[in-house]
Amino acid sequence: MRRTRQAFDEQMQDLQRRLVEMGAFVESMLGNAVRALAEHDVKLAREVIAADDTADDMDLAIEQQCMRLLALQQPMARDLRTIGTIMKVISDVERIGDYSVDIGRTAVRLADTDYFKPLVDIPRMTDIVRQMLRQALQALVNRNLDLVTHVIECDDAVDRLWYGLLDELEGIMQKRPEVVPQAIALLLVARYLERIADHTVNIAERIAYMETGRLETLAPSHRADYRRPESAEGGPATD
Amino acid sequence: MGLPGMDSELIVKPEGEVKIETSGLGLFYGEFQALRDVSVTIAARQITALIGPSGCSKTSFLRCLNRMNDLISGARVVGEVLLDGRDIYHEATDVAVLRKRVGMVFQTPNPFPMSIYDNVAYGPRLHGRCSRSELDEIVEKSLRAAALWEEAKDKLRKSALDLSGGQQQRLSIARVLAVEPEVLLMDEPCSALDPTATFRIEELMIELMTRYTIVIVTHNMYQASRVSHYAGFFLLGELVEYGPTEQIFENPKDQRTDDYVRGRFG
Repeated sequence: MRRTRQAFDEQMQDLQRRLVEMGAFVESMLGNAVRALAEHDVKLAREVIAADDTADDMDLAIEQQCMRLLALQQPMARDLRTIGTIMKVISDVERIGDYSVDIGRTAVRLADTDYFKPLVDIPRMTDIVRQMLRQALQALVNRNLDLVTHVIECDDAVDRLWYGLLDELEGIMQKRPEVVPQAIALLLVARYLERIADHTVNIAERIAYMETGRLETLAPSHRADYRRPESAEGGPATD
Repeated sequence: MGLPGMDSELIVKPEGEVKIETSGLGLFYGEFQALRDVSVTIAARQITALIGPSGCSKTSFLRCLNRMNDLISGARVVGEVLLDGRDIYHEATDVAVLRKRVGMVFQTPNPFPMSIYDNVAYGPRLHGRCSRSELDEIVEKSLRAAALWEEAKDKLRKSALDLSGGQQQRLSIARVLAVEPEVLLMDEPCSALDPTATFRIEELMIELMTRYTIVIVTHNMYQASRVSHYAGFFLLGELVEYGPTEQIFENPKDQRTDDYVRGRFG
């Protein structure tokens, strides 16, 4: 015999599965965009740019499914928080897709440019950010608040790399004006990655709300009194 | 999960003026204990909804608040029910006066087989209001308060049985209002009504709430979430959880409440 609301439970599981699929799709967009940048792969970059439409379609489809469940199933308590969380999270995931496209466009612009220094911090930031996104979505599926905590802790590491790169490239641009256009482009890519990390933290905070019913700012970097951390090289904070 | 009535986190005391307070309330039908140790505070001039599966004794609890259970042979109450700080089960309580102060609207509209006017005037007449002008004023005021005046004013002498279901229920409310109660107890007032009539009654409740304390028993969780300020979940004669409506329906503290509002019972 089917248990109470089994059909609704199945629809909820389908909704979460679609979100995880969207997250995996956008994560691969990000990975491909940074690889295209590192390897001067214009074809790969253009694939990332074209993939944005698919990510947008996924966003819209999940939102529509959420609205349908709200209208037809009148969810309460944890179910209501889950649907509300998913509706917020798809916006963050969709923005991550947009930033991946921006990185892809940068890869196209820099396709014929030799880098004045090897790309080290950008791939490092990318690896951390991709792991944050994977863990955030795993936390949603498994209701694992330990993963939420880990995602938030990783945000600090991304911030350090970002500020470290900012300091480094500021120094280089002062000494070598001819590399300023490239340096600015790379700084923007690093900034996109830092913003992707912020969106992943948003996702983690929403998942914590879904589980606990409390809306809280968990990441220090999201608080008004936030002070930038020491740079990755261990220098003092300067702002 | 603590024992209901003993776990203070699950039973929240509303802020503001208190109208009704129960303390260790228990109800027995012969040897069968229908209510166990219910301690709850009901705020004045707010709507409190009582939810729970069939047979959980939420109606039994409601009927304790104006001693309607006295009419059931073998019914026995333990504990206290305080109305404005005074125990209604004290031997000096005038039950007729109590039921004037704490009126009740039932699930099935029950107009008397008489005119609309006489339905509303019945209670005031019983309580000694006999002058025609006084009764006219009471009837109009009560029908207006029950949002029925415009539909009924031209047929006050017609039989109340000719009204629609929704109108009959509003007439039942007008009949209660005519004796100037302080509290309205409503036992599934909309379960026999269509959706349009239901929404009208809900709007009426929200309007009346500014002047009366309303306690409603409802099987319709969505109605409870729409109209009430506080909600209590009953299960097997126990008050499991009681708190602000948004807490009960968004983030209940007890797993049993969570299972019920999410429809996971059974």
